[in-house]
Amino acid sequence: MLFTLAFASLVRHRARTALAVLGVAVSAAMLLDMVMLSSGMRESFRSLLLSQGFQLRIAPKGTLPFDTEATIRDADSLVALLRALPQVDRVSPVLGGQLHVPRASGAVTAAVLGLEPLVQGDYELVDGRHPMAPDELVANDAMLRAIGRRVGDTVTAAAGYDAQLRGLSGVRLLHVVGRVRFIYMAAEQRGSAIPLATLRAMQGPEASSRVSLAMVRLRPGANADAMRAVVERLVPRVTVVSTTDAIRQVDERLSYFRQLAVILGAVSLLVGFLLVTTLMTVSVNERIGEIAVMRAIGVRRERIVAQIVVEAGAIMLVAAPLGLALGLVTARYLNSILARFPGLPERIDFFLFQPASAWTALGLLVLSGILSGIYPSWRSASLGIAPTLRREAVG
Amino acid sequence: MTAPSMRDARPIVEVRDLARDYPMGDEIVPALRGVSFTVEQGEYAAIVGPSGCGKSTLLNLLGVIDRPTTGTVTIAGERVDALTDARATDFRLRRIGFVFQRFYLMQALTARENIELPLAEAGLRGVARRDRARTLLEYVGLSRREGHRPSQLSGGEQQRVAIARALANEPKLLLADEPTGELDARTGAEMIALFQRLNADGTTIVVVTHDEDLARAAKRVIHMRDGSIVSDERAARDRAP
Amino acid sequence: MAASPDAAGDTVVIGAIVRRRADPAEVARGEYRVRLHLSQLQSLLGYGDRVDRYAIATRAPAATADAIARINDAAFGFRAHRSADIAVETSTTFAVVSRFHRAIGVITVVASAIFLLCIMLLKVEERRRDVAALRLMGISARTVVRSVVLEAAAIAVLGSIAGVGVGALASAIVNVHYQGVYRTPLKFSIVTGDIVVLAVTLSLVLGIVAGWLAARRLVRTPPLALFGR
Repeated sequence: MLFTLAFASLVRHRARTALAVLGVAVSAAMLLDMVMLSSGMRESFRSLLLSQGFQLRIAPKGTLPFDTEATIRDADSLVALLRALPQVDRVSPVLGGQLHVPRASGAVTAAVLGLEPLVQGDYELVDGRHPMAPDELVANDAMLRAIGRRVGDTVTAAAGYDAQLRGLSGVRLLHVVGRVRFIYMAAEQRGSAIPLATLRAMQGPEASSRVSLAMVRLRPGANADAMRAVVERLVPRVTVVSTTDAIRQVDERLSYFRQLAVILGAVSLLVGFLLVTTLMTVSVNERIGEIAVMRAIGVRRERIVAQIVVEAGAIMLVAAPLGLALGLVTARYLNSILARFPGLPERIDFFLFQPASAWTALGLLVLSGILSGIYPSWRSASLGIAPTLRREAVG
Repeated sequence: MTAPSMRDARPIVEVRDLARDYPMGDEIVPALRGVSFTVEQGEYAAIVGPSGCGKSTLLNLLGVIDRPTTGTVTIAGERVDALTDARATDFRLRRIGFVFQRFYLMQALTARENIELPLAEAGLRGVARRDRARTLLEYVGLSRREGHRPSQLSGGEQQRVAIARALANEPKLLLADEPTGELDARTGAEMIALFQRLNADGTTIVVVTHDEDLARAAKRVIHMRDGSIVSDERAARDRAP
Repeated sequence: MAASPDAAGDTVVIGAIVRRRADPAEVARGEYRVRLHLSQLQSLLGYGDRVDRYAIATRAPAATADAIARINDAAFGFRAHRSADIAVETSTTFAVVSRFHRAIGVITVVASAIFLLCIMLLKVEERRRDVAALRLMGISARTVVRSVVLEAAAIAVLGSIAGVGVGALASAIVNVHYQGVYRTPLKFSIVTGDIVVLAVTLSLVLGIVAGWLAARRLVRTPPLALFGR
């Protein structure tokens, strides 16, 4: 009977109920989006960093990986030292640079990574194979499109310009052996990878035994923070960044979005709650006479409150899934805007759906909406029956 | 409807020195001034009097929807003038049926659902509840209107549903406040006949009314004026020998 | 001061401590900056006769395009760009953030419109019986609608004024906060005249439309039905 009356009351005021459901759904959508935003970037970045299993990144002192053009000297001895540590499973040294491919009108410039293909963690092979021989190269679609090449073609590329000779320096004929997707590059960024030794040779003597970054994968059970301290002690001329550090750095730079998410999320929750409270209050005030009649015929106060709560709950329970769907759609749209941040790895999402947080947030909204019906209905059910009946014209 | 199997010796209603005052601004207005009377089981009493004489106030006190300032009310052997809210609510549910001038049906519910409301509150579930509601609808002659909402019923039909609702939990006492007040003459006459039938079937009834025909149909007429009972007449045919 | 952690380096005297400029590129980067003589830094870094970039001021704006063309003709391994073009490139981040804010703004406006309509509907329906009594008395539907719309407009105006105040205060708080967090004199939020005009106009329009829709619903219902008969 409780549900019958609650449902009948909601259906009786269709437009009002529909608008309330829509309003709460929009609140729920915004709340969900803000929950997704508040931790999305961090979690997305974390999974990106750990996607290849490398927990530590070693960069030149005082810098973050690839933040500047600085390089680590005597890198070969550093890599050997790291590989000798029992807790270390794998070390991937990476040297960054630029590759210039001359064309009829100017040159196409792309980022190049010099690495060891067997231990690398910078790209995923899409087609072809790794560049195992010195004159082999893999590239992403953006670069292949720009230079007009495919897997199996050759390309003449240079590592730099010689201003005095007014020509390209470090020129080499390279064979395109694979098509790849770079994990940490931005969308539409042109990128390529060649063997480390080849890039060093192309960059000239000053690049010998230099790397821009070394990525370290630890054996299962090894403590990343402890290993970070060990390496920093062994090699004081570098900065060791753990995944936690990297995330913290990114967090700091993008703290604005987290704070925005918290504020807008709180506002959404408040507005959703206010909307349902207003709806319930007006709905109850309209029915003061009806409530007095119910009390007169012997319906308990608690039952009346329960009926109102069921009505509020019904609105919230219909609105929540609607809000979820709406939130996911708007999150995709908002994510597509933020994905255009320059230099942002293609795979980073600002809005990440994490079931636990999402359900908690929506649950909070539903609960607050339900509770909003309690006070007005209790108050109305506590009014004097006779005077209320006298005042209200019902029927 | 079931007739009472055994007449209880005690009156169903006992009112002693009942008074009810209302604060109106700085003044205290006495709506009832020390009223005392009893109602026997199976009796059909009408309370009449000019507007503002206190008859509705008296009915509200009998219906336990208001509290007296002083005095006592005993219904079916239980003191009801100082019950807790929960106890009063339960008493209204199980012991009293109240019919209002303006019907006061739930607009969102059908005729049958309106009758089921107090049944559900009393704990009756499912098929049993539905069947009881249907029986009551049949009793008041509205079987074919069970699925209609109040807005689809005439005034008379709405009042019949309200009466059926009041009878749902087999109350000891049926109270009616101007039950024909919103009805035309013909419908009012039908209502009067229904009340007589209810009483013949054993229901104790107290009505408050301006309607002379309704008052005449009752077996006892209590006249009130200015918050007091001025006369209390039993109909000649029903006077105890 | 040295170019690498274990190099000997040079000793320098701190000549001045400078305040950060309002440079968007410096926001959210926790770096320390020093300025040295070019030749000293080139020597420290072993750069030789190299620079990363250089800036050129032309004698007249009209000469800039010509200068760029001639430099690029002769250049090898570098290119000349207008400063304005560079500024646009480097503020891409902020363009993205602007677009994001605008999207959030649009969503907020849509959500507000729904909330407003819902609440307006509720509030107007609360006065259903008053409206019924007026209509039965002979007051026209048009008069009723006009009075509700007027009321909605008045509330919208008052709400807009309050909203502008709250917005200005929030803007000030945002600036104080983020200027502290990012250690920059940049302004993160600016309330301009046209923003105020847009906000007030939008809220007025939404308020009036919501009031009109709610009032129309009410006057379409026959007065006796409003009384529940």
